[in-house]
Amino acid sequence: MRGEEVIASLKEFISDDTLIVSSNGNVSRQTYNFLPQPQVYLRGSMGLPMSIGLGLALAQPEKQVLVITGDGNFLMGLSSMTTIGYYKTDNLKIIILDNEIYATTGGQETVSSTVDYLKLLEGLGIQHYGSLNSIRSPSKLHEAFKILLTSKQTAVLHINVEEDIENLENIPWQPKEIKNKFMKNI
Amino acid sequence: MIKSIDILNYLSENNFELSTGVPCSYFKELFIELDKSAVIQYIAATREDEAVGIACGYYLGKKNCFLIMQNSGLATIGDAFTSLAQLYEIPLLIFVSYRGLEPDKTFPEHVIMGKVTESVLEAYGIPYWNMKGENWREILDEALEHMNKDSSVVCILVEKEVII
Repeated sequence: MRGEEVIASLKEFISDDTLIVSSNGNVSRQTYNFLPQPQVYLRGSMGLPMSIGLGLALAQPEKQVLVITGDGNFLMGLSSMTTIGYYKTDNLKIIILDNEIYATTGGQETVSSTVDYLKLLEGLGIQHYGSLNSIRSPSKLHEAFKILLTSKQTAVLHINVEEDIENLENIPWQPKEIKNKFMKNI
Repeated sequence: MIKSIDILNYLSENNFELSTGVPCSYFKELFIELDKSAVIQYIAATREDEAVGIACGYYLGKKNCFLIMQNSGLATIGDAFTSLAQLYEIPLLIFVSYRGLEPDKTFPEHVIMGKVTESVLEAYGIPYWNMKGENWREILDEALEHMNKDSSVVCILVEKEVII
């Protein structure tokens, strides 16, 4: 299954109380195109989506905050995961879409293939975590979404995905517009 | 000299409920007071750019967070400024210790950053104030007014032994 298919299939699991932070590049473009709007669509600040998610989760404890990030972005912000492991903000959930490449910039390899995500997440003190090596059926993915999004603790789901076929167009909203629409909707 | 508790009270009165950053010894007393504070929580970030991410996320959630860091952190957080806080016009108040102002044989690691600190802020287009002396409230009032009016990042430079 490709990353964009995973994002599109999140739709039925997202409620009005879910606030999404999506990492720069393809992930935010797919989130913009396939999931309810408005959400936080990052244009830059590579490595920071998890930190932004932590801040948002602290400010909005009654809402569920879902960070969707690629593996390159996650690895750049890896040290921020120790902060997340330490503070254990229960309403923060993270999905890592791992295609082992920097897809938006032309498919250069990341070093993600060397990481054992289950051991990493356990070692970071993340309370609830899982990893899907391959998605053979949608039902397995849906079950993993349910577990992630109903978890009462900080939870992280790592998913190995296939490379997307093509990059989507940039998000038409200007960054200030993204901020204003998102904040107005909370 | 400015008492840490007075600064925290001022910030609390101005609706700051969270703080984050990376410590500097110039803020040692401030961190002791923050640790005791029941109204302002502190999140210990691992890097200064991470702290910018946390503060921006907190703002998007409609609450205010200020940052504390050493001026060395200004060299770490360029992209967090230009492609997040400044790009999305997110107001941020940052307290930055002004290390390396004088030649220092004991701490040579601060000397180069000390020389370029103000040029770096000017290059980013970030307004800054050097906070010292008894008019610190007026300085913070002015900085916050600027921050809110322009939805911009503002920096407060803090020299040695200014905050006690």
